[in-house]
Amino acid sequence: MEELGKIKQIDFDILGYKLVFNIETIIMTCIVIFVLILFSVLARSRMGLIPNPFQVIAETLAKIFYNLCEDALGQELAPKYFKLIFSLFLFIWLSNIIGIVPIFSEPTKDLNTTLSLGVLGFIIAHYSGIRAKGIKQYLKEYCEPIFFMAPLNVIGELAKVVSISFRLYGNIMGGGIIIIVVSHLLWQILLPPALLFFFGIFVGTVQAFVFTMLTLVYISLQVR
Amino acid sequence: MDNETFITASRYLGAAFSVGFGAIGAALGEGYAAGIASESISYKPKASREVITTMLIGQAIAESAAIFALVVSMILLFGGPDFHSLNFGWACIGAGLCMGLAAIGSGLGAGIPAGQACLGTVIQPATSGKTNTTMLLGSAVTQTPAIFGLVLAFLLLFLDHSNMPVYPGWAALLGAGLSMGLGAIGSGLGNGFTAGEAVYGVARNPEQVGPTSMVMLVALGVAQSSAIYGFLIGLMLLFVTPKESILIADSARLLTAGICMGFGAIGPGIGSGIAGAYALKEVPRKPEERGTIFRVMLIGMAVAGSTAVYALVISMLLIHYFK
Amino acid sequence: MEISGADFIRGMAFLGAGVAMGLGAIGPGIGEGFVAGKACEAIGKRPDEAGLITRTMLVGQAVSESTGIYSLVIALLLIFVV
Repeated sequence: MEELGKIKQIDFDILGYKLVFNIETIIMTCIVIFVLILFSVLARSRMGLIPNPFQVIAETLAKIFYNLCEDALGQELAPKYFKLIFSLFLFIWLSNIIGIVPIFSEPTKDLNTTLSLGVLGFIIAHYSGIRAKGIKQYLKEYCEPIFFMAPLNVIGELAKVVSISFRLYGNIMGGGIIIIVVSHLLWQILLPPALLFFFGIFVGTVQAFVFTMLTLVYISLQVR
Repeated sequence: MDNETFITASRYLGAAFSVGFGAIGAALGEGYAAGIASESISYKPKASREVITTMLIGQAIAESAAIFALVVSMILLFGGPDFHSLNFGWACIGAGLCMGLAAIGSGLGAGIPAGQACLGTVIQPATSGKTNTTMLLGSAVTQTPAIFGLVLAFLLLFLDHSNMPVYPGWAALLGAGLSMGLGAIGSGLGNGFTAGEAVYGVARNPEQVGPTSMVMLVALGVAQSSAIYGFLIGLMLLFVTPKESILIADSARLLTAGICMGFGAIGPGIGSGIAGAYALKEVPRKPEERGTIFRVMLIGMAVAGSTAVYALVISMLLIHYFK
Repeated sequence: MEISGADFIRGMAFLGAGVAMGLGAIGPGIGEGFVAGKACEAIGKRPDEAGLITRTMLVGQAVSESTGIYSLVIALLLIFVV
């Protein structure tokens, strides 16, 4: 139980600044990326009218998300952002689920990962908003409905990023801690795997979906 | 007063808080379910067997939160670890508060869909399978904040806190319990509203059970975010070891970080739940508008949750800025 | 135990900051949630007015937020300035 508070880290000293790398997170993220690339390669190989199993899974998921993108963004903009939204969902979903495999841990258990994904969505949404509306209209929208609400709107935008990142981080890390604590206290075999199933797969899927949908909604708010 | 006296006294106090607070929510929720069940039977007395079965299943889930609180009380009274530092006493009180308060929301929140399921069973008896499944799904997800409360209570009880200085460590331990405990109340109640409307909607429009369940799960997940923040602040208070200081300022700082996040998570949890409830009232009725309603619900819930984020920021400032 | 006046005041300032932000977050949370819920219901009744209803909801929520912002400002003042 005592290793709950410790993280495996490597510290580098560069030019007098201390750089800290979480080795476990980096390795797990690379593994997730590798599995995703492997999945896409397998899905695209021997594509034909009678599809191979990976292609079926990929096409079903892609259709669901394309419909969601079309609902939120409209027909012209949907193809542009669909790739981002779908990749985001696959990455987060696989990151949440991979904790089930015995030695692996979830990259999203680290606040660095989730905060980066949140900032990614933030930058894309606002950059697209500025490009679509022009900088003047974009700045004017912060002054709605009354001029001195501007700082409050800015805080609101930052609150959006914080909330989606922390929600994902808290859910996944909370699930991990629950499993450690329950396994420490019980000597039986049945309950920890059942909890693992609930927290790993169920909560992982729901939270991945929530994160992706919220990012999609924030992009659509800026762009339309 | 020596250590042993204080520790024994605080174990009893923690046990009292745990089961005392924990009994509130489950009783209220189960009572609500039973009331609606009686009303449903009055509409259609022949359906009484199915209604009572549904009611009992729902009440059992609502009871689970109170069972967690009872387990923590038992551990505090009779079992549990054998630490001897003063910190362990404060940790016991914190654990009792944490589990007791967290069980209020989830108990309440699981009773509401149970009542609505009874009503739905009576209005359209052929759909009782789908209604019950949705009720089980909604109630089970509603218990998640109580599970987080249980986990934090266990962490408070079973980890060795003796490396934390007593002043201001006592405030950190108490604050952690308050943060998670109070924080789970709002989202439990809000989730109950959401799940209740979803269950009733499925009863009236059973062919929409799939998309409605999906929207309900997302709404429940987003509404629970304020309870997650409470859990995070609780974890931070437990694991960030403060410097030894007998100043009141440092103790007040850590205690109030817990109070701030705890109270701050109540309102957004309830509000997001109300938003989800109204949205899930419309989603089964108008499947062609589902996308728009879903999007507006998410936007509204995200804005309603922003004050919980402010409380999270203030709590984190209080914990980290003054090291 | 000797409690100095300055220390006590600082302690109470921190306590006040937490209580201010904590209690102050309750109202806007419930109110804005209610607004969002009624907006969803309205869109269910009149789907063609979705844009107008969404804008109205955001304006209403922003106004509701104002007391939450007051609490945030007072909490920050109590922590850093006073």
